[in-house]
Amino acid sequence: MSEHASSRTDVHRMRSLVPGAEPFLFPGGEPRILLVHGFTGSPKEMRWLGERLQGAGFTVLGVRLFGHATKMADMLRARREDWLACLEDGYHILGGPKSRIVVAGLSMGGALSLVFGSRFPVAGVAAMSTPYELPAHPLVRWLRPLRGLIPLIGLFWRYASKVAIGWHDAEAASDHFEYPAYPIRSGLELDELLLEMRRGLPAISAPVLLMHARHDPAVPPAHMPAIFDDLGTNDKRMVWFEESGHVLTKDAQREQVFGEVADFVRRVGGGASWRRTADAVPGDERPGGGQG
Amino acid sequence: MRQVLEGGEPFFRQGVKAACLLIHGFTATPKVMRGLGNALADQGHAVLGVRLFGHATSPNDLSRARWRDWLADAESGYHMLRGVHKDIVVIGFSQGGALALLLADLFPLRGVITMSTPYALPPDPRLKLLRPLLRPLSAVWRFAPKGKPVWHDAQALQEYQAYPVVPTRAVPEVDALFREMRGVLPSLRLPVLLIHSRQDPFIPPSDMESIYAALGSAEKEMVWVERSGHILPQDGERERVFEHVSEFIRSRVADRK
Repeated sequence: MSEHASSRTDVHRMRSLVPGAEPFLFPGGEPRILLVHGFTGSPKEMRWLGERLQGAGFTVLGVRLFGHATKMADMLRARREDWLACLEDGYHILGGPKSRIVVAGLSMGGALSLVFGSRFPVAGVAAMSTPYELPAHPLVRWLRPLRGLIPLIGLFWRYASKVAIGWHDAEAASDHFEYPAYPIRSGLELDELLLEMRRGLPAISAPVLLMHARHDPAVPPAHMPAIFDDLGTNDKRMVWFEESGHVLTKDAQREQVFGEVADFVRRVGGGASWRRTADAVPGDERPGGGQG
Repeated sequence: MRQVLEGGEPFFRQGVKAACLLIHGFTATPKVMRGLGNALADQGHAVLGVRLFGHATSPNDLSRARWRDWLADAESGYHMLRGVHKDIVVIGFSQGGALALLLADLFPLRGVITMSTPYALPPDPRLKLLRPLLRPLSAVWRFAPKGKPVWHDAQALQEYQAYPVVPTRAVPEVDALFREMRGVLPSLRLPVLLIHSRQDPFIPPSDMESIYAALGSAEKEMVWVERSGHILPQDGERERVFEHVSEFIRSRVADRK
């Protein structure tokens, strides 16, 4: 092996995945947790959370969504069904319906987790910084009436510039990986996905934990209560964070976020007992508050 | 409302022995590797059967696939198994074998096993004629029919899960993938086991000899199977194939801790 490595000057010349942004699987106990990254992001933004949950004794899988963690042009070929299929892959790798699985996602990953939770039996869903509809990117307002033409428009006008995601922890920001722009064709997929999510929210019966930064510049804070109100489950809870931006899993208050997710997983993943507590804590809105 | 075909889902089983990454073939699903995966898991190996992009959903999806998507999925499988075991063996069937060999060029694997893996696109004269035109042609001629399956175990054929057609746009991608594979063969140094059926109606048996000859590995081995067609992990002699796979892993990987 060493002979192999030394005989090549550039051993990584053909890797498809961005180093550090690869998916990860940490074996451990039940329940099992599926972590889903956001639009133009990568499994890297879920890795610290995954490591923390592994430390708490759970099995963790951080999936890679199609078109992500490779090169931006790949996203142009991605459809929302591909991303949902990636969640199904992860769900089955974690054991499928026979296992107790909690799905946790950031931003679009939260939307995918909620759609998934409306269609598959899961022990719980945690959605962070999740949009209720396409955020008010200046493009969105005037592209929406042209939505039927977007696949065509996207052929020659491919990318739109990004909005600020508002970091509080500069060091964590420098460790972050995402594509430098929004593929316009993919914006349509995200729009359609969020429509499917809104339709599915009333059908969700599993416990749901929602988390959002009070000053999220990318997805307005009002989106969390909008999701909350539509959720069919009685076991739902909102938690606000004051000192983080959009990327809750990496920014300044990440430890509190990790704690909230770990508490949630422990509570909903413990077999029959979660049903008894299901009605005990509906809609607890203590900012950054623990489970007590 | 599921996306992935029932039975075609990827699979994982935890184990204490060397982790095995299983990669299915073109137009097929992880199901083709499931029997082998279960046999290895029963022996104590951790096994992961990945799903390649565009597979186990709809042939339309495969039209959107590029060969690097498949390599990215194989890489993803490798990275998932890194959290499971320090020793990783990659086992690929048909086109999956080409991906296994490409992975060996990128990462420190303990061994690679290929089954029915082509050295190049099948030597169909029509294909040779159409090859340069396939990319533009695929815009209008989207799906090509598949040849009649030739199996030795008729019951196993019922279990086989694959698209009934070949998306024409994907064929140049397969072609490019095999070109990449041929490019890395001389630089590989890890133990490699190649298995092929003399009765393979689809990929000529001489393809295994071509891969063998081009491989830089000192430890390389060819195994011939007689009573199976192309689908080695499911057809008549699958048990013999499984034994060769386990024996290779036991002798070339497990004993070298």
